[in-house]
Amino acid sequence: MALSKFQHSVITYICLEPRQQRCSFILCSTRFPMETMFDGLFLSRYLNMSVEGQEAVTTVTPGQYILIEGNDDDNPFVAKLLKFFGDESHKQKKALVQWFLRLSEVPQNKMLLLGRSPHPQEIFYYLGRACDDEINAESILGTVHVRQDNSPASVVPVYSSFFPFCPELRKGLRNSVCFPIQATPSTPRTPCHATPSTPRTPRHATPSIPSRTVPARQPGNILEEARARLHVSSVPESLPCREQEFQDIYDFVESKVMDGTGGCMYISGVPGTGKTATIHEVIRCLQHASDMDEIPTFRFIEINGMKMTDPHQAYVQILQKLTGQKVTADHAAALLEKRFSNPTPKKETTVLLVDELDLLWTRKQNVMYNLFDWPTRRHARLVVLTIANTMDLPERIMINRVASRLGLTRMSFQPYSFKQLQQIITSRLIKVKAFDEDAMQLVSRKVAALSGDARRCLDICRRATEICEHSASHPSSAGLVRMSHVMEALDEMFSSSYITAIRCASLQEQLFLRAVIAEFRQLGLEEAIFQQVFVQHQALSRVEGLQPISVSEGLAVCQRLGACRLLLLEASHLDMLQRVRLNVSQDDVLYALKAVRD
Amino acid sequence: MFQTPAGAAEEDSCPMERVILYSLLEPRGSGKTMYGMLQRIALSQICLLYSQLLLSSSCMLTFFCFLQLLNCILRELLEVKDINKNVLPVHLNGLLQTDDRIALKEITRQLNLENVVGDKVFVSVYRSYAVCFVPLQFIACSLFYCSFQGSFAENLAFLLEALKKGDRSSSRPVLFILDEFDLFAHHKNQTLLYNLLDVSQSAQAPIAVIGLTCRLDVLELLEKRVKSRFSHRQIHLLSSLSFIQYLDNVRSQLSLPQDFPDTKFHDEWNDGIKTLCEDQLVVDVLQRHYSSSKDFRSLHLLLMLALSRVSASKPAIKPTDLLEASRVCMVDSKANILHGLSILELCLIIAMKHLNDIYEGEPFNFQMVHNEFKKFLQRKSHSIHNFDKPVVIKAFEHLQQLELIKSMDSSTAKIQKEYQLVKLMLDHSQIMEALQKYPQCPTDVKQWAMSAFG
Repeated sequence: MALSKFQHSVITYICLEPRQQRCSFILCSTRFPMETMFDGLFLSRYLNMSVEGQEAVTTVTPGQYILIEGNDDDNPFVAKLLKFFGDESHKQKKALVQWFLRLSEVPQNKMLLLGRSPHPQEIFYYLGRACDDEINAESILGTVHVRQDNSPASVVPVYSSFFPFCPELRKGLRNSVCFPIQATPSTPRTPCHATPSTPRTPRHATPSIPSRTVPARQPGNILEEARARLHVSSVPESLPCREQEFQDIYDFVESKVMDGTGGCMYISGVPGTGKTATIHEVIRCLQHASDMDEIPTFRFIEINGMKMTDPHQAYVQILQKLTGQKVTADHAAALLEKRFSNPTPKKETTVLLVDELDLLWTRKQNVMYNLFDWPTRRHARLVVLTIANTMDLPERIMINRVASRLGLTRMSFQPYSFKQLQQIITSRLIKVKAFDEDAMQLVSRKVAALSGDARRCLDICRRATEICEHSASHPSSAGLVRMSHVMEALDEMFSSSYITAIRCASLQEQLFLRAVIAEFRQLGLEEAIFQQVFVQHQALSRVEGLQPISVSEGLAVCQRLGACRLLLLEASHLDMLQRVRLNVSQDDVLYALKAVRD
Repeated sequence: MFQTPAGAAEEDSCPMERVILYSLLEPRGSGKTMYGMLQRIALSQICLLYSQLLLSSSCMLTFFCFLQLLNCILRELLEVKDINKNVLPVHLNGLLQTDDRIALKEITRQLNLENVVGDKVFVSVYRSYAVCFVPLQFIACSLFYCSFQGSFAENLAFLLEALKKGDRSSSRPVLFILDEFDLFAHHKNQTLLYNLLDVSQSAQAPIAVIGLTCRLDVLELLEKRVKSRFSHRQIHLLSSLSFIQYLDNVRSQLSLPQDFPDTKFHDEWNDGIKTLCEDQLVVDVLQRHYSSSKDFRSLHLLLMLALSRVSASKPAIKPTDLLEASRVCMVDSKANILHGLSILELCLIIAMKHLNDIYEGEPFNFQMVHNEFKKFLQRKSHSIHNFDKPVVIKAFEHLQQLELIKSMDSSTAKIQKEYQLVKLMLDHSQIMEALQKYPQCPTDVKQWAMSAFG
């Protein structure tokens, strides 16, 4: 399907360029039966194939620049043909090529090494080892004209040399917006950068928030500095307390990248235990290693189950991040399937991080199935790292064939202990002396006892610095954050608001709560009907010497208590018959009311 | 009567309205006097949020009248020039943005992102067409088209990309205010909340999220991964006013401000209010209100009812006005409906009351009520003559329409009308009270109602 377009274009090209048929190699695509005209000794130099039923053929000579089937229709690879040969059985025609990179294929960080802005149609000499330089002759799409530029070749150290070339694609290839190489009429040959480029449609325009007019304030004192460092978003120099997990994940991904194989890993842990942060750290280190040329290059892609509206959007996002294409979910699934199952030359390993995996659950589980099935394909070179909160997610929600493909490479992040939390705070405040040692310990012990959530820990610390700043007479005179400040912050965040709410309620509301409890005691149940409670309410108000309220008022009081969820109520259309429950324990209510009366 | 200041004559056709406007609908003054201390706490917290908008944060306010408070804080903050120019506020309401798709469109609209790009996701077709002076139906068409442009998935990706592009130092801080926060927690997967809170916790565009809700248990609604990303800052605006403070508030609410143009009227009015607040009758009325509810919305309703009795010929609030207003506020709605019933309908209600007594609140049907009514007619009635059954059924149906009785069966269609089980939605006290006030109620009906058993 993808090829037919190019078959057509190749043929057009031949018709336009009859001069070039001096011919040592006649090529066309595999879709047609072919026969070898020469064999044996001449195979490497003179290899002819012809097409039945097709008048036009294209010829390619060693030394010419060729286009090779790429990942998608619009972006074929560019290479220089070195020689042809047949494999042992003489069935397959192979070619030895020297790869070139088009501008869009050059990684961003390498681009910086170039030190100048390259021409959009420039191609670069590729010296990387990651790509196979033997290709199937059938994957050749056609020739391309490459013109050497006069500008001095700049040699960039580290990884590969860049020789500026300028490919000029002959008429025939579909001129698309995505493909920067322009089609020119066959003759005369105009230098391509002389042709004015067509204005590009902003199909991939990126949105952005308006920029600020006033520059952001820099932290003024120690407490503000501490607050900035304690924010969850600020990236620490190192991730303390996750060394073992880091090493395990690093080894796993590194070995897969080195071998060019694929695999899956499942990582679980409660929120705020550093799962995503650790993986990002691993990827950062690996990227650094690949920049240093220690390991082959790889692509890193991240998707998040919560950041998509539908599990099938996962395909769309993966494809978009891989190739920049924007297609529908079904089409994206088909393209990815093709990409991961077909052998393509020049393929680098893809590391895919799937965050919040449980959100990708569908009834047939086909999204999960595909994600875990692709790495097992021979040519996929895909490493999938998945993250979710529950440890036994594979057993709980996945059907057998999905769970089996996920495999048993699992890792669980334990909640942080208080020592680890303390270390995290210390490492963030390494040069800022803002916290009392005891205060720090109190926060970490409290959080470790509750959830072990590092985010929560940092939030409390930040709030404590604010309280400290406010309690001081002058912001600049504020000293260290001490126990009292931390206690106040903890109180704010953890104390139950129900008791305060009951104490601040109006008299009739408090009376109603007492009536509810009285009715519960009488019934021996934890549920009553409004009508019964209201009878109790009227009796109580008589005892208290208050004027009894009407039913409408009583309902209003009840609804108010229901709105702030001190009471749980049924739908209000039931009127007098709605059932009433307490959302707080009876003891709490009595405690709160007793304190009021005293 | 009213000396309208020169120059403002054209808008002073109704001076009373202005008095009311000045005394009640000035949220800024009221916000200040009402909350005092609370406001300062909240203000300081939100100011902090602002000052840190370079760092992102989230915060939750819990109570009833928070929006007014928040609005006046915002207004105050936006008067500061730096902040005004440097913050993009986005207001969302859980009752309006009922799902994430609508919420996303609204956010994009309020951030003016749809004009930033000619992308097909949020293309503003209307504008470009309008410039070209195309016929009106084309604009209508394109608007229709526009509203269906871009799938939910695209919109989400678009917004997330926009927020991800930003960073602390360059992009303008965005302040998200989510009113009726608890309703956002009911959206599918809590996608919007997760993403907003996640952005606020990561090094992307600086945003602050403020949620407003009256539910105390709102955190329990959040999924654990969403909850983990929430900063756990809560401000509870619980009013712990004493009655004295409550009275002071009433006085300051009703008083005219110093800059009122007509000084003579200003002095007279304020003196009147002062004496009003010292009147024992008024204090009693307010005490009753205070004991029922401390919130200012119901107080405003009461004062508004009293104020609306002020006219050009009676330019002051009298204690009786307040008493009357209080009576209107406190009135029992069902007792009011009972006053408007016919004597036959009232008899049916009494019959039902007796059935309730006999069967201890179990549901009953029309036939039982009718039997009870017939017994009464045979034994005791002198003044009420016999009604045909269809007439009684009609009366019964009317009661059902008024929802004084409610059907208990779910499958109403299958059972004959006479045998449908229903329940009475009235309390005994309401019935007795209504009977006392019912105009020209026959004595035998009253006696029947008061007798222990039918």
